[in-house]
Amino acid sequence: MIAHQPALIRRELWEHRSIYITPAAIAVIVTLGVLAMLMLASGFAKELDVAIFGAQNLAGDGERRAALTGFFVGTSWVFLVALMFLTVFYSLDSLYAERKDKSILFWRSMPATDAETVISKLLTAAIVIPAITAIGIWATHLVNLIVTSIWVSAKGGDAGVLIWGSVSILDNWLAALIVVVASGLWMSPFIAWFLFVSTWAKRMPILMAFMPPIILGLLEWIVFRTQYFLTTIGDRGDMRPLFHSMSLERFFEEEQWREGLDNISLLQHIDLVGFVTDPGFWSGLLVCAILTTAAIYVRRYRDDS
Amino acid sequence: MTSLVNARNVSKNFGAVRAVDNVSFEIEKGRILGLIGPNGAGKTTLLKAVLGLTDCEGDLSVLGFNPFKQRKQLMQNICFIADVAVLPRWIKVSQILDYVEAIHPNFSRSRADELLLQTSVRAGAKVKELSKGMVTQLHLSIIMAIDAKLLVLDEPTLGLDILFRKEFYANLLNDYFDEERTILITTHQVEEIENLLTDVMFINDGKILLDSSMDALSDTYVEVLASGEGANKARGLGPIAESEMFGKSIMLFEGISREHLEGLGELRIPSVADLFVAKIKEARK
Repeated sequence: MIAHQPALIRRELWEHRSIYITPAAIAVIVTLGVLAMLMLASGFAKELDVAIFGAQNLAGDGERRAALTGFFVGTSWVFLVALMFLTVFYSLDSLYAERKDKSILFWRSMPATDAETVISKLLTAAIVIPAITAIGIWATHLVNLIVTSIWVSAKGGDAGVLIWGSVSILDNWLAALIVVVASGLWMSPFIAWFLFVSTWAKRMPILMAFMPPIILGLLEWIVFRTQYFLTTIGDRGDMRPLFHSMSLERFFEEEQWREGLDNISLLQHIDLVGFVTDPGFWSGLLVCAILTTAAIYVRRYRDDS
Repeated sequence: MTSLVNARNVSKNFGAVRAVDNVSFEIEKGRILGLIGPNGAGKTTLLKAVLGLTDCEGDLSVLGFNPFKQRKQLMQNICFIADVAVLPRWIKVSQILDYVEAIHPNFSRSRADELLLQTSVRAGAKVKELSKGMVTQLHLSIIMAIDAKLLVLDEPTLGLDILFRKEFYANLLNDYFDEERTILITTHQVEEIENLLTDVMFINDGKILLDSSMDALSDTYVEVLASGEGANKARGLGPIAESEMFGKSIMLFEGISREHLEGLGELRIPSVADLFVAKIKEARK
């Protein structure tokens, strides 16, 4: 079961190049955006001198760290949004495309079981894509820190103080890794649902994936005038147990940052123990296991040829 | 002789349709069996059952495995080409070789590279950039580099021109087949494979109409080309099929010795295609 996984996952990366092209493209766009902003800022020489002087001499370590962490969170969100779309489209296509182009007959002529194949796609969606996204976030962060350091130095600032002495690389990077990997696990029931639809739908898997929950939600509202079903699905999106100690509303408020300026940390907002002990985490994995088994069953027994 | 495939009372239903109807047969090691039948006869369903792609009723054993329940073990010793279009179009030649090398324990990469060197297929090309004939060459090179005991070919040359078809079968015979290997093949182009076969099986409406070695076929079936009195006498012996050509009657006999038919006309060994047509017509009467 495990021995074939590297080859099967490598196969997924060959077929779905968007898995690494998308983060790479975002990295380039974000970096170009940062470069554009820096070039724009260069046009205001006087104000820039004051800003650099202020940041270097008047602001404290905590404020500089807060600013750099805010920049990191901002750029990381772009990757997280892309991760969501990438995962949905990958999962819906992964078992549908092989039936559409009939290559399933070739893949099934090899000694890899249906369970191995479906699990490789689940691992790709839930672990590999988030891991590549994390690498994209780290690389973008690093490149932008270097670019900004060069720019700051060119403008007469001390990059050692302004950038490298203030940035919390380990905290930021570890938090990003935890968030993206946890998101893959937390969203695994949705991924498994998409995989199931991908192997089951005869056409338009995207429609087949989203229509049933919408119809169920509408039926619930028409019959009972309640919205529990769609609310439950929607509420899962905020990964509440992971950010148990954080108030999203207050996260970006200035006062919130000022309260703990000397100890700005993304990790302190992450409750890993609370996350893995939350019933929602385990019930999600259970739903994922049931839907993955269903996807394996359909791939095994379905005859599309 | 060792039996590689053993089917006893195998059936497969699709709803009310009985695609395979209580068939029993054996395939021995080192044979090339042609499974021949009209469209919808149940050939592909039977092949799928052999390959473990579909379950079935009855007892079916392939290389000692239950093909549906033990597919993974079976696929290590069996290869199949369903038709030329099944290779994924997005993949590169080198990638597909890397994949098979990683997944298949009996695949020889050096052998595949060697075979591909004899073709115009480049390692860096994507399958979608290859012609139909080149895709077949690639698929065949992969298959021939796998040390498999049973090779199943379902219409492997469909859509290919005559040059590629001839080359395909020549490669199969010269570079692949030996007494340790067994080939099960279905095709509509019966005439092209007739000389390759050691055994033949006709299937119609899910039932086996004929299961014979090619050697036994020439002993059992005789074609008589006769006219006049000879034709009348031959007709009296009960041919299973009769047709007219250039004013002569061509009659096909089953189970009547050549000695009985000597002197009635010109005796010939019937072609598999003629025999197939006769048996199908007989079954539909």
